[in-house]
Amino acid sequence: MKADSSKAWVVAIVLAILGFAGVQVTLYLSYFYTPTQVTPGTLWVVTPDGGAPISLYESYRIFFIHLPSAYATASCCALTALGGVLLLLTRKPVWESLVVSAAEVGLCVGALVLLTGTLWADYAWGSGRLGSGWNWEPRLTTMLILWLAFAALVVVRRAVEIQQLRTQVTAVYGILLGPLYPLVSKAIEINQTSHPRNFSDLMSAPEIALTKQIASVGVLVALLALVALRVQWNELARQIRMERSA
Amino acid sequence: MSALGALLRRELIVELRTKSLLSSMALFAALCVMIVGLGVRGLNGDETFHRFVLAMLWVCSLFACVVGLNRAAVSDHRRAFFSALLLAPHDAANIYASRLVAVLAVLLATQALMVAMAVPMLKLAFFDQPLMLLVVPMADIGILAPGVLLASVTGRIRGGEALLTILLVPVIVPVFLGAAGATDALQAGLGFRGAMPYLLLLGICDTMFAALGVMLFGKLNET
Repeated sequence: MKADSSKAWVVAIVLAILGFAGVQVTLYLSYFYTPTQVTPGTLWVVTPDGGAPISLYESYRIFFIHLPSAYATASCCALTALGGVLLLLTRKPVWESLVVSAAEVGLCVGALVLLTGTLWADYAWGSGRLGSGWNWEPRLTTMLILWLAFAALVVVRRAVEIQQLRTQVTAVYGILLGPLYPLVSKAIEINQTSHPRNFSDLMSAPEIALTKQIASVGVLVALLALVALRVQWNELARQIRMERSA
Repeated sequence: MSALGALLRRELIVELRTKSLLSSMALFAALCVMIVGLGVRGLNGDETFHRFVLAMLWVCSLFACVVGLNRAAVSDHRRAFFSALLLAPHDAANIYASRLVAVLAVLLATQALMVAMAVPMLKLAFFDQPLMLLVVPMADIGILAPGVLLASVTGRIRGGEALLTILLVPVIVPVFLGAAGATDALQAGLGFRGAMPYLLLLGICDTMFAALGVMLFGKLNET
């Protein structure tokens, strides 16, 4: 048991080092490798009111944090659902730790998605004033709701005092969270939207496409590291509680 | 009589005798319509006004649902009916399905009252769009399917009434999007074709949430 736990800690720490390195490489590439050129059609964006396209200039660099964070939030959503199913099937406490950890990390990366998206939208769609870009379009709204759902799971667990009931709520709510990300993903097809549907224009610059791929991998490894560390932390806390009560 | 039929009969008989759900939900809905009416009394009855009123009625329906679900769950747990039902030798999914159908019936009655009040008080043009008779029950099922499931837990928690709202609202956002979208499309005169994508979304949500409810209700209430 202790050997398994040590191995899990080693895996989590290795993932954390790789994830940290990935994020550093992403930041370096996004600032020093990707171009600032403003060829029409490459780094331009159409404004929501149908006006003339505006140049993104340097603002598009936030995309290398925003998009991988959105992928990370989707992964957290999938992990909560998967953990919920496994928890109901096996009743092993480690799966409860997975659901909680994925929800907590999802809360953090989801906040990053909302924050970076809002800051960029303030520049691209708004007047530059904080909050001027928030226009309640479907992608933004559904992402906010997903973030609130992660928060609800964390808050409700604290409100339930009976251990068995807490485990059951965690499992079932984790499963119910699962279908929310496909909704966020498909939200831009439900209604007209100012959120970019795809980034094909941006990806036509090879430096940007390469940096985006490295950023996605780097941030996803960092996410896995955070979830793995949090699972280990929660398991350790549970073992200490059990030893104290014994 | 099947177990589901017997449980449904029990739910409806209890409700007919006590009227506990109908009275609380209907009174809440009536108060909501009155408050909305007071808030919009000075506005012109243009298209924006009608869209706003319909959106407000959906919000009122949602919170009337929460009031009813809380009332039913807390009452069951306080009188230990729920534990007795779980001890009976039948699939726990029957309890879920019977509660879902019973609360749906009460909610539809409440919404009929809301519409009856909103037509004169809020100048609601509900009867111009007969397809709303399809949208409303579809949205209700989408709200109640996860609602009944989650209320069975929050009813057992101290202060769980507030928690049900926190847990339920994020999960039913797709249903709300579908309901509001279909209502908007019908109101704009786009007909069945215009409302089709939203009806499809509602259908997917109803099927998914009802299936999850049937599968998870027993697991959630194991002791």
